[in-house]
Amino acid sequence: MKSLSYDVKKCLGCKSCEIACGLAHSLTQDLFKAVKEEKLSLPRKNVYAVKGKNFPLSCRHCDDAKCVTACMSGCLVYDQDKGMVMHDESRCVGCWMCVMVCPYGAIRPDLKTKIPLRCDKCKDKDEPACVKACPTGAIIWKETL
Amino acid sequence: MKQFVIIGNSAAGIAAVEAIRSKDKTAKITIISNEEYPVYCRCMISYYLAGEVKEEKLFYRPKDFYQKNNLELILNKKVSRVDPKKNRVVCEDKTQVGYDALFIATGARPRFPAIPGIKKKGIFGLRTLKDAKEISSLIPVTKSISVLGGGLIGLKAAYALRKRGIEVKVVVKSKQILSQMLDNPAAAFLQKRLEDNGIELLLGQDVTEIIGEGDIQAVKLGSGKVFGCSMVVVGKGVEPNIDLVKEAGIDCKDGIIVNNLLQTNIPNVYAGGDVCASSHALWPIAVEQGRLAGLNMAGEKIIYDGSLGMNSIEFFGLPVISLGIYKTKEGDAAYEELKVCDPKENTYKKLVLKGNILVGVILAGKIKNSGVFLRLIREKIDLSSIKDRLLADDFGCPDILDLVKDKEKVYV
Repeated sequence: MKSLSYDVKKCLGCKSCEIACGLAHSLTQDLFKAVKEEKLSLPRKNVYAVKGKNFPLSCRHCDDAKCVTACMSGCLVYDQDKGMVMHDESRCVGCWMCVMVCPYGAIRPDLKTKIPLRCDKCKDKDEPACVKACPTGAIIWKETL
Repeated sequence: MKQFVIIGNSAAGIAAVEAIRSKDKTAKITIISNEEYPVYCRCMISYYLAGEVKEEKLFYRPKDFYQKNNLELILNKKVSRVDPKKNRVVCEDKTQVGYDALFIATGARPRFPAIPGIKKKGIFGLRTLKDAKEISSLIPVTKSISVLGGGLIGLKAAYALRKRGIEVKVVVKSKQILSQMLDNPAAAFLQKRLEDNGIELLLGQDVTEIIGEGDIQAVKLGSGKVFGCSMVVVGKGVEPNIDLVKEAGIDCKDGIIVNNLLQTNIPNVYAGGDVCASSHALWPIAVEQGRLAGLNMAGEKIIYDGSLGMNSIEFFGLPVISLGIYKTKEGDAAYEELKVCDPKENTYKKLVLKGNILVGVILAGKIKNSGVFLRLIREKIDLSSIKDRLLADDFGCPDILDLVKDKEKVYV
């Protein structure tokens, strides 16, 4: 099972990962068309700058995920095999309980669609878009135990 | 083989069952519910009433959940008493079920005020799917409705019925809505949003009588004013369903009293969720209590470190979250409040600190980092070094990396 980690020393805070993330989750997959989509695809990753260092932040798919316990609609399930919190958007009602309890503030409430957005590790692709987009190699995608 | 009995088929009950099964694959588990449905999400029935969610989406576990987990589910049966001396529960129809360990998760029921006319037809709580269905079936013949109470249930009912095109008046005893969750400014924000969407709010008023021969025709306020409606939904708080333990020798005071293992004064009887005394009636809390009780019933000894009042709501696109102590007495020097308010953007953020430790938060409009604040409250972290950052728009988890207990593994 692979997961994301970050070499903070290498992160320039260029936010290429944010753009790549938004684009990867857009309908058209084309930057100039994507920004005009009716439901704008928001990045599930944000880079925070603190004391001169940059920290990319997104869902870590905790195995004791607080969001899963808090979810009342049953749309969040932790998938042991994939090592991921799975989100069934069709069941989600946008109650924001998951946002309320996420210790990392890694779930982004999309108020327009009433759907909380989170990293899905670009599930259909072999490598997340943020990893590909990072110009300095600050985003590490590797096997974890 | 051990026999576990769970009374109640909702958040706490189901969490307990899953926890027991995770430890013990063979024990006999019996769930007894006085409702007619498999497990559904109680918090979502207002979405169902609003027409935003279909009935099948309320059932938050797959259809074969009970079968797959080898559970005996008894529906439509009310437990009339618990008999700890004989380790059994006795149902209304006199059937008995014996247990080695019992979990009471009977929840709570709406509290109806003792006013003339309260027993009339057309007065509802909004607690069960049955309530929602009964209200829903009357919508075609309902033009206007009065909601008693400006708390979460009252407003959720008001929102749902407004969405269905009904004229809604909400009568609120206190001077603000959601007085048990929000401070004045946050409540005012939400109030405006509700009013802008056609819900009428009558603050500082109380209904003293429900008028009508047979069907409801009107409600009367303390001020003497009368206005017409043909249905009433009551959201004036809840009372725990503890009738079944009245003569059982189980300690109660506004609910069943449990220790930090979720155990009552009788060691093999556990309780969790809304039926418990001094527990915050909230879905995630009921789930957590149920889970820990279940694990402890199956032989673990896991301490529950207490619940924190919190809630998340959204009406007409305005999300609001409240955590911990949301309101302090004016002039109380023990507390410090940090606030930022932007009426144009519809955002409000208030942090309550006690000796540089965060004890409460209200967020309206922008709620993204709520969980980070919750962590600061739970871990009782001294925030003096980052106090100037707390209200910043870009404040987030990376600001507290050096302060929290668990050290980061994702940043190298």
